[in-house]
Amino acid sequence: MLSRTAEYLYWISRYMERAETTARLLDVGYRMSLFPNLSGYNNEWESVLAASGTIDSYKKKYNDIVQKHVEDYLFFDEDNPSSVYNCILNARNNALVVRTSFTPESWLAINKAYQEIINFKQNKYSTSDLPNLTEWAIEQVNLFRGTINSLLRNDGYNFLLLGLFVERADNSARLLDVKYFVLLPKPEYIGSNIDNMQWSILLRSLSSFRAFRWAYDGEITATKIADFLVLNDNCPRSLSFCIQNIVKHLIDLECSPSKVNKLYDTLKDLNTKIQQEKIETIIEYGLHEFVSKFINKISSVDKDIQKEFFN
Amino acid sequence: MFNEMYQADSEIRNHYNNINSWLENMSSKVILEKNAEAETHFRNIGITFSTNSETARERIIPFDLIPRIFTYNEWSKLEKGVIQRSKAINAFLLDIYNESEIVKANIIPKELIYKKMSFEPTMVGFKPPRGIYSPIVGIDLVRTDSDSYFVLEDNCRTPSGVSYMLENREIMMRMFPDLFLKNRVTPIDNYPTRLLQTLMSLAPQKCESSEPVVVLLTPGPLNSAYYEHSFLSDQMGIEMVESNDLIVEGKYLYMKTVDGLKRVDVVYRRIDDDFLDPLCFNSQSVIGVPGIMDVYKTGGVNICSAPGAGIADDKAIYIYVPEMIKFYLGEKPILENVETWNCEKSDQLQYVLENISNLVVKEVDGSGGYGMLIGPKSSKTEIDIFKNKLSTNPNGYIAQPLLDLSFTPTLIKNHVEGRRVDLRPFCLIGKEAQLSSGGLTRVAMNEGSFVVNSSQGGGVKDTWVLAE
Repeated sequence: MLSRTAEYLYWISRYMERAETTARLLDVGYRMSLFPNLSGYNNEWESVLAASGTIDSYKKKYNDIVQKHVEDYLFFDEDNPSSVYNCILNARNNALVVRTSFTPESWLAINKAYQEIINFKQNKYSTSDLPNLTEWAIEQVNLFRGTINSLLRNDGYNFLLLGLFVERADNSARLLDVKYFVLLPKPEYIGSNIDNMQWSILLRSLSSFRAFRWAYDGEITATKIADFLVLNDNCPRSLSFCIQNIVKHLIDLECSPSKVNKLYDTLKDLNTKIQQEKIETIIEYGLHEFVSKFINKISSVDKDIQKEFFN
Repeated sequence: MFNEMYQADSEIRNHYNNINSWLENMSSKVILEKNAEAETHFRNIGITFSTNSETARERIIPFDLIPRIFTYNEWSKLEKGVIQRSKAINAFLLDIYNESEIVKANIIPKELIYKKMSFEPTMVGFKPPRGIYSPIVGIDLVRTDSDSYFVLEDNCRTPSGVSYMLENREIMMRMFPDLFLKNRVTPIDNYPTRLLQTLMSLAPQKCESSEPVVVLLTPGPLNSAYYEHSFLSDQMGIEMVESNDLIVEGKYLYMKTVDGLKRVDVVYRRIDDDFLDPLCFNSQSVIGVPGIMDVYKTGGVNICSAPGAGIADDKAIYIYVPEMIKFYLGEKPILENVETWNCEKSDQLQYVLENISNLVVKEVDGSGGYGMLIGPKSSKTEIDIFKNKLSTNPNGYIAQPLLDLSFTPTLIKNHVEGRRVDLRPFCLIGKEAQLSSGGLTRVAMNEGSFVVNSSQGGGVKDTWVLAE
């Protein structure tokens, strides 16, 4: 497989994953906006921007944080590299180049999404359309992932999945961090009702609300949610799950055993450690600190993959 | 005027009977729906023109639902004619870069060949594998009568359009499966396999493998034929590479893969000569693979089509193709050339200037329907502009009579009207010579128009060859 093809495949699934994260965040924001405003807490749209990592660039463009602008910025804005529009556009431009490396169905899924989002963008939409738009975006990404299932299990597949899990690991970690740090600035909020509401919103944004209910009995507590999203191997968005899959698809690569081994060595520790970790220890150590370290680690894994295979 | 569906007495020709009743049974509503479906399908699969602006809607070529039909006998003649022509052109290319017999025999003046920009001096003395310079030849034909076909031009360098031929059939089979049950249409979907076989049969001298590695070299996503490049690589199951993916080491060409370098044996190039190798051609070019020409000439890789093959596309060379057929093959040309005046010659230029309002004037290296004048359809001002061009640069032009291109039934909005068409079948020449069982039919969608080029409002049709 051409190095360039591997690189483009990796980025296609990163962009598609990111499109979903952004859409889910918008959905969370919308859901929150329907609740009565609670003074003393941050504006929910602000935390949505923070979680998507776009708050600084947003503030350069707009003075006030209001739904209309946030929606537009996160869904359609061409200046926002993480907007659903840009993610789909970038995925599509990459797919155009490597369409020969996956199935026609995968190409169709991406190209249809692209054709449709252009139509949405050209036609004015109203705020009440937002749930439909986010639902549409999530559907497109799911469709794309579904088509990946019929791919040959070759290196192209592994690079797609590496991209998916690197992006997801990063997105999950950032969401965790934002919710923990931005929304709960004071330790005494932990355990209160509002705290729980914020956390359940976090679960929704990771499409894990019902899954959590299945996995844990009783009260929603911050500790349980943290355990679910950081350490639970059954949760497809947990940090632990993402890392395990990065390792799996790395080891599955058939090309360049020496490069694979080199990368595996740097990941081994992180993987073992997260398997043995207890959530209480992490919270004691500081979830924010833990997550920050994790984000850095993922970012260096990403850099290594790019350096070793795409150059 | 010749109408391919109707005879002079308005009777339907036999082989169009099924299509006629199909059309009669289809309501306007269904026609409009199917048109919309086809458009959506073409957008979804991405068979579009690229534009430079990423957000602008890409353009699609209008697709006409009514197929154009050839009977087995009609096609057999075309098949023989196109293969004959393609073989002769390949013999010509090999000859002018080697022994130059045709010049020595005083059939083609040497200035005509050796002064052309498209003549590639670096190829002199080089014999590519099997002596084939142009393994894929697209020949543009028009029909003027039940038995008269004329060749408008030969495309030897990098003819495009075959993806439309294949996709037009796909969409027709998808939308109107019944039609294919009632009509015995020869399949065309083996074309990519045959193309790959042809390219593999042209492995270079130093290739030891029985399964040569073939790649398609594209200029990239901004090229207007990019869809076709990816479509063909996909169908052939080969890598589509850009020049940055290729590198020369030692006397071989490699592609950069996740597993290190992998040797490449045959490059099906879809870029121009100028951008192949900055060391050999255009040193200003930022694209290209430095050293590839050296590997090519020492038998490490084959480049298809060969650099310098484009000279056969020149409209001044075109004039001599019937002579080539006689000279190299000792056969009588099956397909006719259009009578052509070469403005380079002063007596012919004189004639063209005097009769310009009845003639079509073309640039010798023009394409896409640009840079031409259709005398009978032009204003006095337009004609004067061309007269001026002809007088200042006679070498750059040829002139031909305006041919009465055949009509085929075409859906305009939701009713049937006659529109003019041409045809580009694709001939493959490797170990054997074969013609696609169909071709690309282009149709001039505007009433009365003679110009079928997609850049000038032309559309496309599925082209059927009926089985024997």
